[in-house]
Amino acid sequence: MKKECIAMLLAGGQGSRLYVLTGEMAKPAVPFGGKYRIIDFPLSNCANSGIDTVGVLTQYRPLELNAYVDNGQTWDLDSSTGGVHILPPYQSAAGGTWYKGTANAIFQNIAFVDRYDPEYVVILSGDHIYKMDYSRMVKRHKESGAACTISVMEVPWAEASRFGIMNVDEHDMVEEFEEKPKQPKSNLASMGIYVFTWKTLRAYLEADEADLESENDFGKNVIPAMLGRGEKMAAYRFEGYWKDVGTLESLWDANMDMLSPESGLDLLDESWPIYAKSVSIPTAYLGRHAQVSHSAFNRGDDLEGTVENSVLSAGVNVEEGARVSYSVLMPGVTVKAGATVEYAIIGQDALIRENCRVGASPEGVDPLAWGLTVLAPGCALEAGTAVPPKTMLSKNGEEVAR
Amino acid sequence: MNGLHGIIFCYEKRNDLRELADTRSAASMPFGGRYRAIDFGLSNLVNAGVTDVGIVLHGRYQSLIDHLGSGKNWDLSRKRGGLKLLPPFAYERQRGGTGEFRGKMEALSGVRSYLDTIRQNYVALMDGDLVVNLPLSEILEKHLRSGADITAVCGNDSFAVDNGTYFEPDGEGRVREVLYHMHTPRGYRGLEVYIISTRLLKNLVDECISRDQYSWRHDILQAKVGELNIRSFIWTGFAAQIRSVQEYYDRSMQLLDPAIRADLFTPERPIRAKNADKSSSYAGPTGHCVNSLVGDGCNVEGVVENSILFPGVVVEEGARVRNCVLFPDTVIRRNADLAHIIADKQVEVLADRTLIGHSSYPLVLSKGACV
Repeated sequence: MKKECIAMLLAGGQGSRLYVLTGEMAKPAVPFGGKYRIIDFPLSNCANSGIDTVGVLTQYRPLELNAYVDNGQTWDLDSSTGGVHILPPYQSAAGGTWYKGTANAIFQNIAFVDRYDPEYVVILSGDHIYKMDYSRMVKRHKESGAACTISVMEVPWAEASRFGIMNVDEHDMVEEFEEKPKQPKSNLASMGIYVFTWKTLRAYLEADEADLESENDFGKNVIPAMLGRGEKMAAYRFEGYWKDVGTLESLWDANMDMLSPESGLDLLDESWPIYAKSVSIPTAYLGRHAQVSHSAFNRGDDLEGTVENSVLSAGVNVEEGARVSYSVLMPGVTVKAGATVEYAIIGQDALIRENCRVGASPEGVDPLAWGLTVLAPGCALEAGTAVPPKTMLSKNGEEVAR
Repeated sequence: MNGLHGIIFCYEKRNDLRELADTRSAASMPFGGRYRAIDFGLSNLVNAGVTDVGIVLHGRYQSLIDHLGSGKNWDLSRKRGGLKLLPPFAYERQRGGTGEFRGKMEALSGVRSYLDTIRQNYVALMDGDLVVNLPLSEILEKHLRSGADITAVCGNDSFAVDNGTYFEPDGEGRVREVLYHMHTPRGYRGLEVYIISTRLLKNLVDECISRDQYSWRHDILQAKVGELNIRSFIWTGFAAQIRSVQEYYDRSMQLLDPAIRADLFTPERPIRAKNADKSSSYAGPTGHCVNSLVGDGCNVEGVVENSILFPGVVVEEGARVRNCVLFPDTVIRRNADLAHIIADKQVEVLADRTLIGHSSYPLVLSKGACV
């Protein structure tokens, strides 16, 4: 069935900079904001933008992600004419390969896109936290007559050299793309979200595949090739909250941003809902001794201790006399009596037994020695264990180097 | 294939739910910070492997139909069977009248043709206003082993219920007496959950139709207590029938007891419900929330004690909410002070207002009210 526009979501990366958190699941499946997984953001944005067909390209550890995406019902994407499709690499008569890069992942699924014969394809990443109306970006793409539209946002000039920077003319048409420029000429950073005219992209993907030197990557190869051949490239300015949560620090930051709507990330605003899969566990209970302040909590939580400036996912237990501050606790974490958790990210179902000390506040600690403490999903600490700041423990409690 | 079929009666009955029943039937009463009463019956059935459930409706059922949807939250949206909504159809009491059902047998005779489509050999009859987590597969097994014609599930607690049915079993569990409208109740309180074979049920319905009888408890249970083998199954866990404001309030407050929650929400038999699609709940720097159940997407900046908050409730800074049940999207503005209040959906209590009920007479604020 013909669609004007479909989306392809790149969800195959390992997310190696999230270390132990992505040990057994792909990055888009990592819990965020207490209630969500990262992939809820692009999928909800699609549903809210009227895009009902999404290909999800998976490769690394897809089990958790596949189970979560399911039939797309969570995002109202269980449609008989479109819907969510998980697209792993596959074998064909001529053999098969893993996805070699972001562009190759789409190349290998040209047949999938062609089934819908779309005019436009939106390319999304599975590691961004933001609310965005893609239909506006598609509108800009159509009006400008571009072959490719790149979503950009203004970043502070001081940070511009960390991003892929777009230099644009007075009509916001891209003239030049510079990856991490030392002397940035603009502060418009690419957000890694693209709209392509499918006919044009299809041709470039085939050419890119034929080029044995290419790394088959959108940012490194396809976009520069299109600019080089003089294709019309438009910038689409996005205003609002956007964060790449590809590192432990940015994941923690974005969770903290959720606590303060002033950050721009207002998840209580229901005009653009972000959907998440429902779990069948009862309402959160805050006990007689609970002291919960400036924190988010969820269904199935049982809180008797002190929780400050933290984000708690579903099914978290904080016992009486335990203290959790400036931390992100993923689903099913238990913090036993007398334990302290500070400035930490705690993976699913981790068990922190009595009187453990996990992490520490940056105050009074050598800034070089300080950092977030991270426990892998399933990690169980013996009572009284101290885990210093900047330490990361695997599922078996062994220290993992960053 | 599991041999049990579910029928849940959600037609309107005389109750004392006051304003809370203005916009809904008892089956869609919010309960426990995220559920509707009918979620419990449906989940009980689904957890026992039941795939086909009929919902008998009559009166104020818009809210219930909205909640049930296609039944997909309970995996009851099926090609064969699944959830069947049974509103009154060609129901002609008093020649064209559409007065409320006088009893279960009249309700069943109204859906007589549906009874012929039941694929299973046994039926569980339940009421939509029951909040419980029953092991129905175990109850069915016991029904089969005991050779009973009808198994009546009874509660075993001191709660009396408005218009309840009471059972007096003998030492072997055979029911000898069925009583209701008693001044001082005795026997076990019936939970209005019955297991019966499909064939017997249809025969009894046909018999009642031919004699213009309508009452399950009068014309079947009482009249046939000697003739039929009616046996009791005593359930010792939590079981609430939501029929009055007072009962609703008392039973809601019981959920603040961890042991009661552990019993009602045993992980082996999860209670499924419609998702609120809200964000995480948030307690602010000035918030103080203790001994309370807090639903999804609430925003607590004030003081909340011994209360149950449904999704999307806002308690602003300086406000005090004690011993209250606040339905979804209720907003309590700055410095308002509430105690022993049941606020229906989308109620707004303006700044500095004081509303105090009593545990023996909780005040009800109607849906959408602005105080």
